[in-house]
Amino acid sequence: MMTTAELLEPLAKRRTDEVVVTTMSTVRPWGHLSDHDLDFASADSAMGHAADLALGIALARPDRKVICLNGDGSMLMTLGTLATIVGSGAENLILFVVDNGSFEITGNQPTAGAGYTDFAAFARAAGFGQVYYFDQGGEYASALDGVLNAKGPVFVHVRVRSGSEGPISRSAEEEARYLKTSLADWSRGFRSAL
Amino acid sequence: MNQHPSLSAAALVAVLEQSEITHVMGIPDNTSAPVFDLLAAHETIQLVTVTREGEAFAIASGVWLGGGRPFVIVQNTGLLESGDAIRGTAARMGVPLPILVTGRGYTKMVRAGLGPGVDLDRDLVTRADVDSVALHTEPTLDAWGIPFERADAETDLRLLEATIARARAEERPVVLLLAQPLTGP
Repeated sequence: MMTTAELLEPLAKRRTDEVVVTTMSTVRPWGHLSDHDLDFASADSAMGHAADLALGIALARPDRKVICLNGDGSMLMTLGTLATIVGSGAENLILFVVDNGSFEITGNQPTAGAGYTDFAAFARAAGFGQVYYFDQGGEYASALDGVLNAKGPVFVHVRVRSGSEGPISRSAEEEARYLKTSLADWSRGFRSAL
Repeated sequence: MNQHPSLSAAALVAVLEQSEITHVMGIPDNTSAPVFDLLAAHETIQLVTVTREGEAFAIASGVWLGGGRPFVIVQNTGLLESGDAIRGTAARMGVPLPILVTGRGYTKMVRAGLGPGVDLDRDLVTRADVDSVALHTEPTLDAWGIPFERADAETDLRLLEATIARARAEERPVVLLLAQPLTGP
């Protein structure tokens, strides 16, 4: 099984002007790899709605690729979003489900159906035309260019090992720049940058 | 000629056009269905039908992040389902988000001689002749700190225009609660 670092580092290297929306266990690790005005942390926000936020951005800016690093717990909260994404016709959205099988930031309690929920099958059933599954870092890194250039909406199910990310706050003490300000202030800056 | 047209579906969509709304998110009910029908193939407004109402507020917030001007249409039942989505996205982010909430149960509430301020005790919320969602709607909006106006029988479109203007001026979600049927397609 991959690590979160094996997932994020190749993505950070290839990322240029795409929007990247993170949530839960990817918020801080992505913030350590990237300091981009078009990063958006769905943190101190609404549980389970990162993919919805990303979809909204994608619909408003069809000229811009939008990458969402969703969690398995978050995706399970709003599985209907998969149907909404396909129904919306957004071709510029790449939705990752970073599946560690647990609620990592509360101490890795297992999510419902952990280990046997087939998110890729959910996505295919919802009508996603491009669906990928990875659990090996090398295979993922080799395929990543193709994933990023595929016509969307694209769904990527990635199995990763649980880590030890703790609760996320927004404060000056946070290392990642996108966590240093309030959600409202970052939103305004993000909107201007986009 | 009526200088202040009433709330028909066509007039409502015309206000959305004049207000340069770019995206409408929501789920139709019997009241709002004609609006969804008009928006289904609209040239400038993209309709995004969601699976559950909470999605609508987060998608709308993303649309605003992307530079769009969103509008949400949900029934009051769906509004109640959407609490954390509104709080954590549009309200927390300071999104100028006008919301049309169609009011299920208001006719029954009025017929029963009740209003939004009544005590929500067990006997009341379990009564067969009352749809409890109407009783819960306005106290919930008050509790969430979301400003709203109720559109009753004599209300015209100026109230919708005012809702959009207020949401934009105050950079927050603002609700127009439609306690009456639309007057026509």
